[in-house]
Amino acid sequence: MPLGPVSSAIHVHGSVPADSPQASPRTPTKVTIHPVALFSILDHYLRRADSQARVIGTLLGTRNENEVEVKSSFAVLHSETSEQVAVDMEYLKTMYDLYHKVNPKDVIVGWYSTGSNLNTYSALIQNFYSQETAPYPAVLVALHAGVEEGVEAGVKAYVSAPVGVAPKPENCVFVPVPVDLKFQDSERSGLDLLNTTANSSTSTSTQPVAELEIIEQSIQSISEMLDRVLTYVQAVLSGEKKGDPAIGRYLMDTLGAGTDDLEKSGFNTSLQDTLMISYLANLVRAQAEVSSRLALTSAV
Amino acid sequence: MAAPSMAAALAANLPSAPVAPVQAAPKYEALPSSMAKLIDIEADIPLNIVQLDGLVVTKIIKHAREAPSTTAHGLLLGLDLDGVLEISNSFPLPHHGGDDGEKGSKSIARHQASMLRSLKEVQADDSVVGFYQATTLGAFFNQSLLETQAIHQEKLRHGGIVIIHDLSQTARGNASFRAFRLTAAFLDAYKRSSFSTSSLISHRLTFSSILEEVPLRIRTNPLLSSFLGSLTRSTKASSGDVPPANAAPASTLAPSFSVLDLNTTGTTRNLEQIVDSLESYRTEEGNLSYLSRQIARERAKADAYIAKRKDENQTRVAQGLAPLPEEDVSRMFKIPAEPSRLDSLVLLGQIDGYAKNLEVTASTGLVKMHGAKGGSGSDKA
Repeated sequence: MPLGPVSSAIHVHGSVPADSPQASPRTPTKVTIHPVALFSILDHYLRRADSQARVIGTLLGTRNENEVEVKSSFAVLHSETSEQVAVDMEYLKTMYDLYHKVNPKDVIVGWYSTGSNLNTYSALIQNFYSQETAPYPAVLVALHAGVEEGVEAGVKAYVSAPVGVAPKPENCVFVPVPVDLKFQDSERSGLDLLNTTANSSTSTSTQPVAELEIIEQSIQSISEMLDRVLTYVQAVLSGEKKGDPAIGRYLMDTLGAGTDDLEKSGFNTSLQDTLMISYLANLVRAQAEVSSRLALTSAV
Repeated sequence: MAAPSMAAALAANLPSAPVAPVQAAPKYEALPSSMAKLIDIEADIPLNIVQLDGLVVTKIIKHAREAPSTTAHGLLLGLDLDGVLEISNSFPLPHHGGDDGEKGSKSIARHQASMLRSLKEVQADDSVVGFYQATTLGAFFNQSLLETQAIHQEKLRHGGIVIIHDLSQTARGNASFRAFRLTAAFLDAYKRSSFSTSSLISHRLTFSSILEEVPLRIRTNPLLSSFLGSLTRSTKASSGDVPPANAAPASTLAPSFSVLDLNTTGTTRNLEQIVDSLESYRTEEGNLSYLSRQIARERAKADAYIAKRKDENQTRVAQGLAPLPEEDVSRMFKIPAEPSRLDSLVLLGQIDGYAKNLEVTASTGLVKMHGAKGGSGSDKA
């Protein structure tokens, strides 16, 4: 899923000689972020001191061929004044060790910053993180929380390239890299939950939700979709709209899915199985209850 | 793969539905009328509800999914205010599977202390209010959970709570979080560490009265809400012209229908686990009855000895001799202590958890099957 407004950034990448194996590792061409990392950044931003213009932190994750997957993040102390910028390295090391112990697969892949000002300090911090992630290049994820007027909330990712006649740490070009939100199927439901929570008027929702409610929601959204498809098909049939063969093909594939299994004896067999399991589960529960009550009677 | 792409292709063709963003009137959370009653040093105000922050939801889900074992656990941080326990952050604890307890618990304690110190430096909440535990198929009862919780009970304000996250239910499309705390009856029995039959009777303890559920709600802070809102909005806007054919199916916020999956692969595992825990319950019951038989035998021996001695004394008195001293029987016959029934209690709780989960799966499966049958348009049967 794209994060933020469509960017017109040209994705420039330094050409890497593909045939030289000892060449420095490739610059990442894609960054994916897990929701938990984003939410941690937002939380950190929310808890910043008033004097802090922006907050920074470390991104943890894994690297593929040329894709960086950001899996989590933690806040890092830093201070910026007009003269200097300082990052608490001790703190970073401690935190990294703690995170590493829990999840040994995740390594430092870069850093995050809120706001969009890419300045000299950003270059310096980038230089610092590049040492941490060496030999791989560090990525910078810039997050707009959307609190400033005129700036839409969104996420951008950058890699850096040295610039100038003589390379200096405070001089670099930040090259934008496409960034996507990524999560596992099992994390979906959590995100859905948060989404419904965010859309409710009080920003809260009660747990636990009965499974039937969720089924109901899904079925409702399916029937809405069917309505949309129906409107479209009718519009095409009546000649108001020109039919798109691609859509026709999709519809064919989707709606043509056979339910033959159900229609034959499969349904009844399956029904019997399910009823049996339901019966068994109830039986086990009743027995467990009886057994626990029996334990309360004394033998004498 | 086909479904989302089709939806997108449709969306590209249809005139975009006029989605008038319904702006809810901003609601401000009412400030408590008197702050005085909120100063709650002794934790006198009882907890009514647990409020889980959106960040913690994602953190727990991530940890539970990536943890090497199914029993991922970590600590919850937050504050309580006027009966609401707000959980604003969490961090995972390292997993020590094969480690022996002493060393493992020490390194966990170190980990915890240094994490708390670090979090404090970045102005995050640093007071531990409980812990979370991931589980599968609804069976979260186990000895270590109860023990950890009992330890917390003494150290934490309000005794701490435990949040149970069910992995298998989350995979089915229903992210499930529940909050529990120990009941007073269980704690009392635990403190005396007596789980004999008589103690169970006097405390009226069954597996369902070990833990009590605390209502739980999820909250997203305004910043997170607005961010999520703009994320979903920008998806809608940008999916206009680019058919996301190359996008992975997992990377859109379009509705997922995993909840409607008719597949019942989990059921076999669930049944297996019920059988397993029934088996261990049977073993445990066997042990218990063996022990109680042994107790009964020893007691009978002791009783017989006492009766015999009494008879002897009576005859001796009748003969005018001094009675033999009544010896301390308990020293001669070792009557074993009554075994703890906590194990079997916990096992029963586990069985109940599995069975409940199975029941829910079966009943929703029934609904889905009838739904699919109705949808397939063959209502002849």
